[in-house]
Amino acid sequence: MKIKYNSEMIAGIVFAVVGAVLWFLIPSQIRTLEKSLITAQTLPRIAIGGLFLFSVGLFMEGIFSKGKKEIVICRETFHSESFRKELRSIVYILFLIAYCLLVETLGFVISTLLLVIAILLFYGARKWYYFVIPLAMVGVVYYVFGVLLHVSLP
Amino acid sequence: MEQLIGGLEILAQWQNFLIIPLGLAIGIVVGAIPGLTSDLGIILCIPLTYGMDPTMAILMLLAIYCGGTYGGSITAILINTPGTSANAATLFDGYPMTCRGQAFKALQMALFASTIGGLISAFSLLFLAPQIARITLLFGPAEYFALSVFGLSVIAGVSNKSIFKGLMGACIGLFIATVGIDNISGTARFTFGQNKLMAGIDLIIALIGLFAISEILMKSKYNPKTDHKVVRADSITKDKITKEEYRRCRKPIGIGSLIGVIIGATPGTGGGLAAFIAYNQVKQSSKHPETFGQGEIEGVAVSEAANNGACGSTMIPMLTLGVPGDGATAILMGAFMLHGMVPGPSLFTEHGNIVYAIMLGLIVVNVFMYILGSGFTRFYAHITRIPYEMLAPIVLTFCIAGAYSTNNRIYDIYVILLFGIVAYFLRRMDFQLVPILLGIVLGPLAEKNFRRAMVISEGSMDIFFTRPISCAFLLIAIGSVLVFAWKNYRARKKTERI
Repeated sequence: MKIKYNSEMIAGIVFAVVGAVLWFLIPSQIRTLEKSLITAQTLPRIAIGGLFLFSVGLFMEGIFSKGKKEIVICRETFHSESFRKELRSIVYILFLIAYCLLVETLGFVISTLLLVIAILLFYGARKWYYFVIPLAMVGVVYYVFGVLLHVSLP
Repeated sequence: MEQLIGGLEILAQWQNFLIIPLGLAIGIVVGAIPGLTSDLGIILCIPLTYGMDPTMAILMLLAIYCGGTYGGSITAILINTPGTSANAATLFDGYPMTCRGQAFKALQMALFASTIGGLISAFSLLFLAPQIARITLLFGPAEYFALSVFGLSVIAGVSNKSIFKGLMGACIGLFIATVGIDNISGTARFTFGQNKLMAGIDLIIALIGLFAISEILMKSKYNPKTDHKVVRADSITKDKITKEEYRRCRKPIGIGSLIGVIIGATPGTGGGLAAFIAYNQVKQSSKHPETFGQGEIEGVAVSEAANNGACGSTMIPMLTLGVPGDGATAILMGAFMLHGMVPGPSLFTEHGNIVYAIMLGLIVVNVFMYILGSGFTRFYAHITRIPYEMLAPIVLTFCIAGAYSTNNRIYDIYVILLFGIVAYFLRRMDFQLVPILLGIVLGPLAEKNFRRAMVISEGSMDIFFTRPISCAFLLIAIGSVLVFAWKNYRARKKTERI
């Protein structure tokens, strides 16, 4: 399957949908009793309306632009170098999401130590001091925030 | 005069003279590591300044800003990779000088020119800002609103190829700024039933997520085997700048500093643009333009004088009008607000002594930068040895701790990660993050003054067009968006033809 696209088209569609959804959410999310012309809904309406209109403008700009990428989706696509690179950023994002799930139960120190190890392994770090310095920094940060700044990290 | 003396008294506290070198050292290291910018350094250090006195806190962040702008020249000269975008012009002649075995000389000239540019900029801030502030005291809600719109029009200059992306970024920022309780009517807005969102989204949380987390994600494709360039320690020789070279560089430094000050004071520009314009100017007026790009010391001098020359002057519109000139000043503006000072016309009347202390402190920052830089030039090769794979988890740890410390709640860690992931995808789609930040910073100011002006005018929009200053700002804002949109359109068409 062949697809021709550019970042303008993708961003235009995504934010036009986001803008439209937020626009319809305004009455339920901003329940104001104000009767004047300018209310608590005014700025959100300008921002969201603007987002929608500019997204449509961006989409049109993307459609009429000659600079489009062409991708062919087939089995080889999933083995290509660029796909692997994309996958790396997805894995990184998954680390961060996993961290969010763990931090409340395991606390700052243990969950951050796990995250640090995961990132170092992700980059293929092998030398021992590559591990020792960032891991020690977790302790230093815990101490600096806890003792010097009086912020008790979870 | 009273405020100047008051500012001197505040600045004279011994703690300030400890925090400035610390901020400079952080700035130089952060600027010298490709991938870490002075913006990131400022954001990571903001949570550390919560307990500090406002003057001390802002001076530390300013030192990081100036140190980072100078520090970026180190890698531009040594490994042909500018540490920050402001140093891109430095590599034209800096790296060829390194190839010829003149790295030490190039680094010394970068430091000298940065210091002179920085000092001229700091003095222009000290003398120009109070004069502008005096005029801005006449401003009412209509002028404040027009100013905010003018500030938002800065997006035109920082939105790269597509003006639509810049405008969308500003709308996203304005939307984020509306989340929480509306200060005028008390109505909850876009809280989705979450009490934690009632107070809105903290600026520092948004900053960490948008800039720091997205930067870390952008580097997820980093390959330590191919992407890490290291400088050999013996490449920094000891050849010093001759008297003749100092004499030759006087004019380029002067031109660079002047252009830096003018460009820096223009919102939507920044040090990078100033360096390119000044470099071209000096090259064109030179008797030997063919030597530029081949390791000409004047090229290093003019680029560094210009980018540091912009550092102080970018603060002029920020302090006097509340309009941040670029990303770093938008972040600094956030830091001012976090310390209870709202940049803009009232800043000089409400916090005059502190503002003078900060402006005078910028002079001290530049003097310290020269002293520190001179002492550490030989160690710069070692900074570039720090592997990114080791830095990434350390930066992330600081981000998480900094986010948590803002309100002492885990919820903010979720928010920075959400912002970071969204910002990462936006950056992948060639969006700039500064328009979003401008929307967040200027949104509440624009809304509050728009509503006040409408109450004064009893619902008539005429108030914005009948008052000359307000009308002028609105016309400049519209004009700048249209001019930049046209320029972007032409640049885009040109690229497509190629």
